Amino acid sequence: MQIKEFKSERLREKYYEIEHSSGLRIFVLPKEGYRSTYAIIGTPFGSINTQFELKEGKVTVPDGIAHYLEHKLFESEDGDAFSKYAETGANANAYTSFDKTCYLFNCTEQFSKSLSILLELVTSPYFTKETVAKEQGIIGQEIKMYEDSPEWRVLFNLLGAMYHNHPVRVDIAGSIESIAEITPESLYTCYNSYYNLHNMALSVVGNVDIDEVLEICDKYLKEQENAEVISLFPDEPYEIKESYVEQIFPVAVPIFNFGFKLKGDRLHTEEELANLDVLLFMLASSTSPMYRELMDKELINSTFSYEMFEGGGYSAILFSGESRDPQKVSEIIKAYFDKAKAEGLLETDFIDAKKATYGDALSSLNSVDTVANMLEDFYFSKRKIFDYYDAIGNADISKAQTLLAEIDTENSALSVVKGE
Amino acid sequence: MSTNIRTRLADNVYFNEINVDRFKTMRLTAIALLPLEKESASDFALLTQVLTRSCEEFPDFTALSKKLSSLYGASLSAGVRKIGETLALTFSIAGIDDRYALDGDVVSKELSELLLKVLFEPNFKNNVFDKNEVEQERRQLIDLADSEFNDKRIYANARLIELMCKDEAFGIKRYGSREDILKCTPESLKKAWDRMLKGASFEVFYVGGAPAESAKKIFKEKFVSIERKPEELHTEIVRKAKEVSKVFETMDIAQAKMLMGFRTNCSKDDEDVFAMRLMNVILGSGTRSKFFLNIREKLSLCYYCFSRYNRFKGILTVESGVENANTQRTVDAVINELEQIKNGNFTDEDLRLAKLSVASDFVSICDTVTGNEEWFVSQLTEPEFLTVEEITAKFNSVTREQVVEVANKLTLDTIYILSSKEGE
Repeated sequence: MQIKEFKSERLREKYYEIEHSSGLRIFVLPKEGYRSTYAIIGTPFGSINTQFELKEGKVTVPDGIAHYLEHKLFESEDGDAFSKYAETGANANAYTSFDKTCYLFNCTEQFSKSLSILLELVTSPYFTKETVAKEQGIIGQEIKMYEDSPEWRVLFNLLGAMYHNHPVRVDIAGSIESIAEITPESLYTCYNSYYNLHNMALSVVGNVDIDEVLEICDKYLKEQENAEVISLFPDEPYEIKESYVEQIFPVAVPIFNFGFKLKGDRLHTEEELANLDVLLFMLASSTSPMYRELMDKELINSTFSYEMFEGGGYSAILFSGESRDPQKVSEIIKAYFDKAKAEGLLETDFIDAKKATYGDALSSLNSVDTVANMLEDFYFSKRKIFDYYDAIGNADISKAQTLLAEIDTENSALSVVKGE
Repeated sequence: MSTNIRTRLADNVYFNEINVDRFKTMRLTAIALLPLEKESASDFALLTQVLTRSCEEFPDFTALSKKLSSLYGASLSAGVRKIGETLALTFSIAGIDDRYALDGDVVSKELSELLLKVLFEPNFKNNVFDKNEVEQERRQLIDLADSEFNDKRIYANARLIELMCKDEAFGIKRYGSREDILKCTPESLKKAWDRMLKGASFEVFYVGGAPAESAKKIFKEKFVSIERKPEELHTEIVRKAKEVSKVFETMDIAQAKMLMGFRTNCSKDDEDVFAMRLMNVILGSGTRSKFFLNIREKLSLCYYCFSRYNRFKGILTVESGVENANTQRTVDAVINELEQIKNGNFTDEDLRLAKLSVASDFVSICDTVTGNEEWFVSQLTEPEFLTVEEITAKFNSVTREQVVEVANKLTLDTIYILSSKEGE
């Protein structure tokens, strides 16, 4: 077992990274003065991981299986995990995203007991025909709930327009049809590959010390043989599939998602990510001339937002909001990015954007849940948290300019959901 | 729990200093409490947005945004919420704690001053708000009012309240109505601003590591120069439902939304309010509730089904999303679960674990900046502020007989079903 300490003087934080003998990667970040503790264990198995390679060969599983597995793991032979957590007063939950599945709890007492419940939960699968069938109704209603969410629809319509083949274009929960194909066997195949401890990471943040965590891990986790699994993604062309997609849905104000598709062949480094964050703040935040023009022309309202969206095999810059004329919004966004590419960035604006990006990132260190989720995200993306914060402080206008040059504004798509 | 040092600054104006040094940021919030009325709700809602858009020194939102971004991306926000039939206008500024500034900058003082400028030195033209600024914010507030229709869960919930409380002030939306927003003028906003400064009860909250002396001082200076006449705040509690009203509507959606509204005959000033809050946890709040375990897990009827108790108004609402064909079954299942509690069919363990879960949530609240503020905001209309320990003790003294008793006080008022058009 190896323990490494990481420290940031600037942020007044430190955390430990442990390679546990079981194979599990563990992060512990104690926060002084906090009374709650947040623990999260995750695996890089999300909705996009529907094809993978094992020693035995290539496997294809139904859409939505990662999410289905998340629901089913809460059940074990001796009852559901929620009831066990209730004994400790912990608040438990789980979620599945595009590229990972995570199980978590937040507690103020009996941390060790809650952690043992969490570890037991992810290490004791129990899937039978009956329990798998029972979930169809519940997840079926979850899928329908999202069908009634215009924000969700507009996003997936955009991803469907941007991506030809990559599974990021498919709903995280799959469809009523795809989940009907899920069996206990297919769940076990996924479980045995991605839920091998060598592929997972545990992060604990808040009122905790490292010995407490290790004691429980030593007790509940047996050494495992590494299950090697390689996620496979279909070939994805660089070009977008369609530039415009529209859905009619009962909404009062039309909503839009607009995205620049970037090369998804690798994840950005900490330094690139920091420079991109500063760059996007400069070009698209409420202080930017672009935002100003969109507001003055009454094309957007304060729901307008942007984000860097990336994971295994996909990368994009997304803009979203409500607008009576989304087409016009997308043209103005493109024009401002093109203008910045041609004319360069202003040094004074860059310094302010850097400060604002740093302040924003700093505030996310306040909450135990955000920090723990960041530890998971950064580990699975092979990045280091403190390096990212340092990179914001050292953000450099010429590097931002280089990243800007790589954005092809013509390789973009617009998705609109509007009323009849 | 962090302690709250509360100081009176003027008639019904208090400054609450919550000193905590474990966060990277500080936050200052001013809350103005006023009666919720149809005639003024839209003016107040629009006022919060116009005030935080610009001020005398930073006369448009780009100038103000640039100022905020130079202060390490500080955020200035405003909004309105209903606390029973009281309208709470909220103005907040949040930014980094001075200890974390990159090159020894001091930002906290400027943040406090900026919030004051926004509240007390508006961007006036000819002694009223700037017309263009008002128009820009009016357009956005109308979008906000309209977009409530976009999210069907939010829409269905708002519709239930509108139907159930149509003859009470609580039926008014927090930002009034589209029609009333259209009637607002720079002059009516000026009147609303004057009324707020004179008649609202104010609570200012500071959460941060550094002492709040300077912020407190400048707030006091501003308020002592105003002739104050605080308005009465009151919420009408309807104790019992007369009869069950059922409303069915359809829309082109994928899933039916089933909502129920109960009168609880119990609100924040009643002694049994803690029993009612625990009853709500056992019935329908969280993953150990009867709704979750039976309606979701056993019957597989839905993905979500939960209850919410509003102690300020004394109502309990239930929400679920189900197949069209299952709406009546779900209504019956909800009523059945409530009957179980009324008949005492729950264990001592259920009650003990409900208390544990509530206590744990309370402690966790104090580990976020907004949670520290929210703890006291949720008690704004109470005679005094209690700490987490004091409130937890009140929950712990609740007996199972009291839970049964309060469950029997519920009367069903309204069932609202928004179904999808398929199979019509």
